[in-house]
Amino acid sequence: MTKTAIPSAETLNAFERELNDVRDDFMSRIGQADADYIRKVIRTQRLLELSGRLVMVLGFVHPLWWVAGVIMLGLAKILDNMEIGHNVMHGQYDWMNDPNISSRRFEWENAGDGNSWKRYHNHEHHTYTNIIGKDRDYGYGMLRLSDDLPWRPKNLWQFISYINLSLLFQWGVAYHEAAAERIFVGKNKRRKDSSLPISRRQLRNDFLNKAGKTIFRDYIFWPLVCFPVFWWVFFGNLAANIIRNLWTSTIIFCGHFTEEAQTFREEDCVNETRGQWYFRQILGSSNLEGPRWFHILTGHLSCQVEHHLFPDIPARHYPEMAKRVEEICHRHQIPYNTGSFAHQYFTVVKRVLKYSLPDSFHSRPRAAA
Amino acid sequence: MTQSQTLELNTWSRGLRWVTSAVTLHQNLADYVEPLAQMIWPGWQASSWRARVLEVRPEQADVYTLVLRPSASWKGFVAGQYIELSAEKNGARAIRCFSISSSPAHYRRTGLIELTIREQQGGLITPWLKQAFAGGGGVNISAAKGEFLWPQGDKPLLMIAGGSGITPFRSMLQEAAARSSTRAVHLMYYARDAHSWLFHEEFQKLMLSFPGLTLSFMDSDVQGFISAQHLHDFCPDFVTREVMICGPSAMIGMARDICADAGSASDHIHFEYFGAAPLDMPEAADGSYVVSFEREGKAVATDSDAPQTLLDVAEANGLKPVSGCRMGVCHQCICQKKSGVVFNTQTGRYSDTGPGEIQLCVSVASSDVILDL
Repeated sequence: MTKTAIPSAETLNAFERELNDVRDDFMSRIGQADADYIRKVIRTQRLLELSGRLVMVLGFVHPLWWVAGVIMLGLAKILDNMEIGHNVMHGQYDWMNDPNISSRRFEWENAGDGNSWKRYHNHEHHTYTNIIGKDRDYGYGMLRLSDDLPWRPKNLWQFISYINLSLLFQWGVAYHEAAAERIFVGKNKRRKDSSLPISRRQLRNDFLNKAGKTIFRDYIFWPLVCFPVFWWVFFGNLAANIIRNLWTSTIIFCGHFTEEAQTFREEDCVNETRGQWYFRQILGSSNLEGPRWFHILTGHLSCQVEHHLFPDIPARHYPEMAKRVEEICHRHQIPYNTGSFAHQYFTVVKRVLKYSLPDSFHSRPRAAA
Repeated sequence: MTQSQTLELNTWSRGLRWVTSAVTLHQNLADYVEPLAQMIWPGWQASSWRARVLEVRPEQADVYTLVLRPSASWKGFVAGQYIELSAEKNGARAIRCFSISSSPAHYRRTGLIELTIREQQGGLITPWLKQAFAGGGGVNISAAKGEFLWPQGDKPLLMIAGGSGITPFRSMLQEAAARSSTRAVHLMYYARDAHSWLFHEEFQKLMLSFPGLTLSFMDSDVQGFISAQHLHDFCPDFVTREVMICGPSAMIGMARDICADAGSASDHIHFEYFGAAPLDMPEAADGSYVVSFEREGKAVATDSDAPQTLLDVAEANGLKPVSGCRMGVCHQCICQKKSGVVFNTQTGRYSDTGPGEIQLCVSVASSDVILDL
């Protein structure tokens, strides 16, 4: 796997300054337009959700209504998780001082408890991006995606594990932190020291509470409210959840697991300067190109590089920032990983397949795709 | 209600809350509906009322009056109360508390209320409000709050006002005049110089319709800070009156001491801070304490030489808790304290050591504290 050598200190310093300038420049533009934008997205999400649930019920008139309802509800869930939830919970809109759009209060339409997600995502994943052993988002403890980890027989069928994870992605998000604390399973392997700021019991209760609410909402409450068409609604919600899970998982895998996205070791980030941190964030992330609606549906994670550089700037600015970041990278000869959605996703699949086999299998140099 | 009925009710409301949060992912339905309601009523908020700004009337170089028409469903107020006014400045919600300076009688007659506001030097909001709403516009207001009210009975009153602390008294005096009160009221109004008394002519006219009213306009340039001598000179029977004080905190402290020393009963001294209550801490000053932000996974030591509110400590360490007025009234910054003692600068009380809700903006750590932030 390619590892880009760390540039000279002068390059890194200049690089850091230029990226800070980009940040300051966009920071100063944050204001009314951002508030109006996020409110509009939230409004659209609400309308899509409610009308999706309503239209779905008409499935007994003609199944196409059901299909339309499922798609609308799926889109509403995607908007809630990506452009709204993910970004609000990063604190991108905390400056608005609106209790309903604040990272402290916001709860997303996802099986995962927002507070749990904030802990492992905002702190762990964003600080230690792609550092093997530190960033548990790297392969989610299931997949081998680089030769940093030794091959194990279970990696042979990891493509199937990957498909399962994608289908059930919101449950993966939900169980992620609890898995590291060995809650429910693997009790004998429980780690002695825990970095959790809350008790394991609290973690377990939060998990169960949010999971219960999720199941209640989609599989009990709404089907019961529409009782004569209970199963239409039940399966409609299931289908909408699958749409959301597949989409979010696919986008997120494209963010850090494309062919050229690099990994790091723990010693790489000891006494790291801001410039080095920027450098590591860029090497470990990859962007997707596409039209504006595509960026919105990805929650602008299509600009994963910019998101990792500036996680608390409202995401709608990322495509503009990307132009400047890419130019800066080119000037300093730092690789900037971007491509079409189809191409980037193809390399993700290739990577999952490649590392499912032992290294000896492909140790001979092969032509790059 | 019997205990078991209360228990049953609690179980019901807890269950309802759980269902609401499961289905809407919000604490209550109104918050979930808010973005949709805003399509019809721009700026609508589940927890407040809309009000239209009809006029920004200059009073003095740095003082102006906002004339507001609250929406019809607003519940009205009692003379002396204040509201939280929230307005959106460049996308960010700014919240400030202002006493209503007009009377309930005026509101009943016209549907309007007035807020008289001094522009804070270097302030972010008060100078901006004046400009931003010069041509009208919409703001949000809370229900009227506050216990600084016209006392019941007919005991004579002494009102001591400092600067823009005159506003609740204007409301009370206008209301009393409208109700043809016969009570004896003496107003001592301190201003920094002879040009700075607000509503100077208006109060003089008010004496015509309010025979019990007497006035002393105090010019701090000439007469200096409030003193016992002033009270003896201008309101010799002040010990027998109910005393109401509103103004800067130093003035309130002084006036309270003077009255208490002269023998006024403490339950006959009413006061309202205008601005944040002072950060003076009895004892607790030596040694610094550790404030832990549990959710953030951060712990910091406080500086014992410069006591800071927990809100300031949180913000200085990169947290952005929801906050509002920053003076202990709006309760937006309420936060769960897991353990530890905090000193409330507003009430002057120490908290219990166990879990409880505290207001970050008026709480100072008085032992090691763990916060749910």
